[in-house]
Amino acid sequence: MADCIECGAEVSLHDSLEVGEIVDCATCGAELEVIDIDPVELDSAPELEEDWGE
Amino acid sequence: MNIGLLYSRIRKDEKLLLSELRERDHDVTKIDVRKQQFSISEPPEAFDELDIVVDRCLATSRSVYATKFAQAYDVPVVNGPDVAETCADKVKNSLALVEAGVPTPDTDVAFTKDAALDAIEDFGYPCVLKPVVGSWGRLMAKIDSRDAAEAILEHKATLGHYEHKIFYVQEFVDKPGRDIRVLAVDGEPVAAMVRSSDHWLTNAAKGAETDTFELDDRALELVERASAAVGGGLLGIDLMETGYDDSEADHGEASGQTSGDEPRARDFEDYTVHEVNHTVEFKALNDVSGVDVPGVVVDWLESKAQSHSDAETTA
Repeated sequence: MADCIECGAEVSLHDSLEVGEIVDCATCGAELEVIDIDPVELDSAPELEEDWGE
Repeated sequence: MNIGLLYSRIRKDEKLLLSELRERDHDVTKIDVRKQQFSISEPPEAFDELDIVVDRCLATSRSVYATKFAQAYDVPVVNGPDVAETCADKVKNSLALVEAGVPTPDTDVAFTKDAALDAIEDFGYPCVLKPVVGSWGRLMAKIDSRDAAEAILEHKATLGHYEHKIFYVQEFVDKPGRDIRVLAVDGEPVAAMVRSSDHWLTNAAKGAETDTFELDDRALELVERASAAVGGGLLGIDLMETGYDDSEADHGEASGQTSGDEPRARDFEDYTVHEVNHTVEFKALNDVSGVDVPGVVVDWLESKAQSHSDAETTA
């Protein structure tokens, strides 16, 4: 578990978390980026950029 | 092996790759390109001792430059910067396909609104206006009338980044409600799927339904040629069926909607390759095709790293 940086609610996390992964806050819907896993630290995920994709 | 992974976001695709690499006991160096300083003379520490680096950058602009630096640091990189540069830009992508004789939708490029409007009128309605850089079906416009064309061109010219003033106008391909995505390594297909939708855009990112697809000989040939046209590597090659005759086929509604569940009788004339993607997403293919996509991709990465190592030893 970690706290959502937007709303403060607890965010449930799965076991195979990776730095750089995006998780959603089930309470407020914020997209959060995993910036550390030991301990887990979350930050706001970057907004979609125009050149993102394949 | 020590395998580097250039990234800025870990999607399910990257997680699948990382999991497969670690299961095989490879050392994995994740390189968040947002945190790097790419010196033109000295490689950053993260690039030390890498046998190969795989580009999984989410942002095309970063992909183009990060791969260029990896090459400058003498680290084997897949896909390489030349492939990235060609695939990142729809104009260069189309030119590469045409130069290789691969069928691709007819396309004109114009630099002004007036010239673009002339191109649109020449194609007739509907036709398609695409950004030269972009993905997931974003900012694509199917233009049904001159009024719409004038409005879209004005918006792009007024509000857009300078790249939006490179007007990429393309014929509208009346496909049978679906297109085909093939994941290939150096022209060899790994898995294929159809992406079906009632909407004219059939990107998986736009919610298209996916299903398996069996490639026929012509599709296999075009995948190989399209891959070679852009320089090879780990690629997502997108094809559409052209000359589709919906009067003879049983594909449901008039939209041509189909899930593509069975290889069907050939009721179309040919394929056209509309795009080749260089940082291909494959999670949907992995789910739908029954192929262990990350397994095959890592097999290929290992062979690429080994061949680079062998070449260095020989030299």
